[in-house]
Amino acid sequence: MTILYAMVAAGLFGCGLYMVLSRNLVRLLLGLSLLTTAVNLILFQTGRMRSDQPPLIPEGATSLSESADPVPQALILTAIVIGFALTVIMATLALRAYRDHRTLKSDEINSAHELGRPAAEHDER
Amino acid sequence: MISTLLAISLAGSVLAWPLSKLLGRWAGWGLAALPAGLFAGFIGLDTTIEAGGRIAERWAWIPSLGVGLSLRLDGFAFLFCLLVTGIGALVVVYAGAYLAERSPRDRARFFTLILLFMTSMLGAVLADDLIVLFLFWEATSILSFLLIGFDAESASARRSALMSLRVTAGGGLALLAAIILIGAQLGTYSMTEAIAHAVELSESPWIQVILLGLFLGAFTKSAQFPFHFWLPNAMQAPTPASAYLHSATMVKLGVYLLARFEPVIGEVPGARDVLIAVALATMITGAFQALRAENFKSVLAYSTVASLGILMMLVGLDGPMAGVATVGFILAHALYKATLFFCAGIVLHATGLSKLRLMGGLRRFLPATAVAAALASLSMAGLPPFLGFISKEFLFEAQIQSSWDAVPVAVAVLVNAVIVGVAGVVTLRPFFMGSGRVRDVKHREVPGLLAGPLVLALLGLVISLDSDWISRSVLRPAVAAIYGRPVEVEVGLWHGITPILGLSLVVVGVGALIFTFWVPIHRRLSKQSTWHRFDVEHGYDVLLRRLDTFAANTARRVQHGDLRGYIWVALAAALGFVIWGIAASGSVPRLSAGAGEFRLGPAIIASIGLAGGLAATRARSLLATMISVGLSGLVCALIFMMNGAPDLALTQFAIESLVVVLLTVMLFIVPLGAPSTRTSRERTSDAFLSAAFAVVMLIVVLDMTASPQSPQVSAFFGAESYVGAFGRNVVNVILVDFRGFDTLGETSVIALAGVIAWSLLGPRNALESRKGIQSGRAAFILSFMSPMFFWLLMVLSFVILLRGHNEIGGGFVGGLTAALAFSIVSLARGVERARARLKVHPLTLASGGLLLAIASGMPGLLVNGDFLSHLWIDTEILGMNFKQGTALLFDLGVYTAVLGTVLAFLFGLRREAAR
Repeated sequence: MTILYAMVAAGLFGCGLYMVLSRNLVRLLLGLSLLTTAVNLILFQTGRMRSDQPPLIPEGATSLSESADPVPQALILTAIVIGFALTVIMATLALRAYRDHRTLKSDEINSAHELGRPAAEHDER
Repeated sequence: MISTLLAISLAGSVLAWPLSKLLGRWAGWGLAALPAGLFAGFIGLDTTIEAGGRIAERWAWIPSLGVGLSLRLDGFAFLFCLLVTGIGALVVVYAGAYLAERSPRDRARFFTLILLFMTSMLGAVLADDLIVLFLFWEATSILSFLLIGFDAESASARRSALMSLRVTAGGGLALLAAIILIGAQLGTYSMTEAIAHAVELSESPWIQVILLGLFLGAFTKSAQFPFHFWLPNAMQAPTPASAYLHSATMVKLGVYLLARFEPVIGEVPGARDVLIAVALATMITGAFQALRAENFKSVLAYSTVASLGILMMLVGLDGPMAGVATVGFILAHALYKATLFFCAGIVLHATGLSKLRLMGGLRRFLPATAVAAALASLSMAGLPPFLGFISKEFLFEAQIQSSWDAVPVAVAVLVNAVIVGVAGVVTLRPFFMGSGRVRDVKHREVPGLLAGPLVLALLGLVISLDSDWISRSVLRPAVAAIYGRPVEVEVGLWHGITPILGLSLVVVGVGALIFTFWVPIHRRLSKQSTWHRFDVEHGYDVLLRRLDTFAANTARRVQHGDLRGYIWVALAAALGFVIWGIAASGSVPRLSAGAGEFRLGPAIIASIGLAGGLAATRARSLLATMISVGLSGLVCALIFMMNGAPDLALTQFAIESLVVVLLTVMLFIVPLGAPSTRTSRERTSDAFLSAAFAVVMLIVVLDMTASPQSPQVSAFFGAESYVGAFGRNVVNVILVDFRGFDTLGETSVIALAGVIAWSLLGPRNALESRKGIQSGRAAFILSFMSPMFFWLLMVLSFVILLRGHNEIGGGFVGGLTAALAFSIVSLARGVERARARLKVHPLTLASGGLLLAIASGMPGLLVNGDFLSHLWIDTEILGMNFKQGTALLFDLGVYTAVLGTVLAFLFGLRREAAR
């Protein structure tokens, strides 16, 4: 199964990158969301998927017996929520950019870039 | 003593600003007391210097680098100190009158700068530590820059100021490199030590580089060819600054430095040749340009360039007379050239004219100036009985004594002849010839303007007539300091009929001819435009322009404004590093045993996930893209579910639902159609890069899963979770207890996201805030059922929160579930209804949750001294034993923060959509 899951993670990773390279801001942010999913899957596989038992200590026992690795799960749980917040903030920014520039194309939204342009070009404009 | 003088100089310069305003029109006379006092202070040390002594003082400064604040006063430094302070006093008096019409602020600025310059100049010649020398050296460059650009509103003044700074500070960098190399070779930055170890230094493998650095520093500072062009441009400075910096003192620093290092230069074969070749080129260039120049000050500036060339040549010559001639010429030149600059300033000030050919007959209006100019010119022309005559005799004697052939002698004769011609032109033409060309002047002479030129011009005469003190206390110790041992200096006007006298006669004769035919020579040379093309200044301009173009082109290529380009480069670089890392490790990627195992169910689910990802890349509608991405997310949740991570699955499901709710609001506003924004070529390259990255990641993941896992951490949490933290859900225990601090950090990130959302999307004014958010009505069935869903989800969220410590669940999932409850209400009955249900501000929730999470760590801090180490109490409710602790409060904080943030986004996005 390792190869199968690794292929899903790597495949989603590639798809996410391809979308991140798009000039459409919404595609970019959805790509980032896909990338988050892929990275979470990769993180998950650091636990080696050794068992399908959740890491719960059974009633009566005092320590964990055979179960999935709890450490990557704890990492991923917060990563999912943080990734969600990132996606939504990106969406907010894209929305505001669209309101101001009437476009979602990243190469046409360059008001910040203008600030850093060499002075000589400023004069020409 | 000398450090006290230096400190007084610095303190006085700083006080010059308020004092200048206080003294008003007497500021020039008043402030001159500082340099005059310093002059007297240095004169008071003459007995020590005369006896061949030197005064050295040292303070530790940066002992770890071997840099000490060490000063020393010997004969050569003594000469410079007298020039700097003596001429400084006259310059300050002169400037007081010269700038009389300027604003008090301008005058205060000028006095401050000129006195600070004097301090730096004193520091530079007194410094024995080379690093300290460099600092003062650069300070003079910067002050020169500020003085040349004194009239900052003038574009040409700014250009000239920048030019001088670029050239001299650039040379300064080369000097610094040389100094650091010297320090590395000898282990000391002391100049005295460096010169004492001249032989050792000259055998260093770096000696060529060291000499190159020293030469570059000295040549730029002393305006040697091909760096000479900044000096004539520096004439943009107010005349007192030109007289002081750009003829009498600062431009001689390069000569000073190389004269100090003469023992080292002499040890290196070929170094003298380089020095003399550059000096000869400078002499010829200066003389030639002086013949072409039109402005009074430009003619003087070019003749200064020629004179600096002569000085540099003298440094390059060997033999004791070279030292004598250097010292004599520094003194004579400072006296007569400063005088002539002073006179040029008076003419400029009184007539407003700058071109020599427009002047004439000024003797009538400015008689005393005419006298001073005449005296100085006679000295410059090297006629007896002036000091200039003596220094020229020294010059020829040094040349004949040295081991060099006739070329320098011939050049020196020619250049000196031109200088004689210039001396005649700058005095006879404006003051004595062509009377009637100037009918009136703006003002007559005033004492402040006359003091400087008259004193200096008379000194040039007095010194040569009564040379006892000066040769005993100044010239002889100065020569001894640079030559290394005492040399007999005989200052006399008559040495009998010698070849040197013959050379002097030739010079004067040719000079007289040049003066007679000045007009035709000048016209002939200045009309030749071909010379302009070989002008170094032109090259400087071209170089700067090319540099600007290059920088602009580079910026345009690197900072092109296309986000895709930036990301592409970053990804390609990251990929390159990963591949390089794999290759450098030299290991072959491994595959774990049983990796190829295959089960149908998971395989189908995995294929759906991959298909979702691929569909997202192909979809041309944003809605379809979002759904495809969501599909992959759900598959990911299923994979978590099937592999023992129900907590993750639950969270992922909640997230996917919320993403749909929130992003749909955005998709209502933006155009859904998303035609390709990339050319087919770009798509190909992007696909290639992404695929390559995916393949590398596949290899990395496979290798990682094949490597043995260290079980300690997981085993520890598994063993301690219930025993130490009373929780059966190990994931939740890690989050709220073992790694509680991390979770607190993540919770604050979430809460901050809420603040960002509200600042971007919240109401923009009070009116908007009152009006609320309009929303359309939803389907009847949804709005009818929504209260039930709301309460169901809310109760569920609390159950998830409360039992999270022992069963599946926790604060994050609980908060997300509660947010889902509110989103259903807002979808069905409008945002305002949802807000009414909430009752508090979403940001209050977010920040309150964060505060609660922080507060839950406090009991542990107070009781155990450990922040976030949770406390537990046993409670008996209905016969059931509940173990409750501060961990629950922490999870409640997380729950509230997540809920507040998601709602801030929900309400904000809906508000934006309604706008």
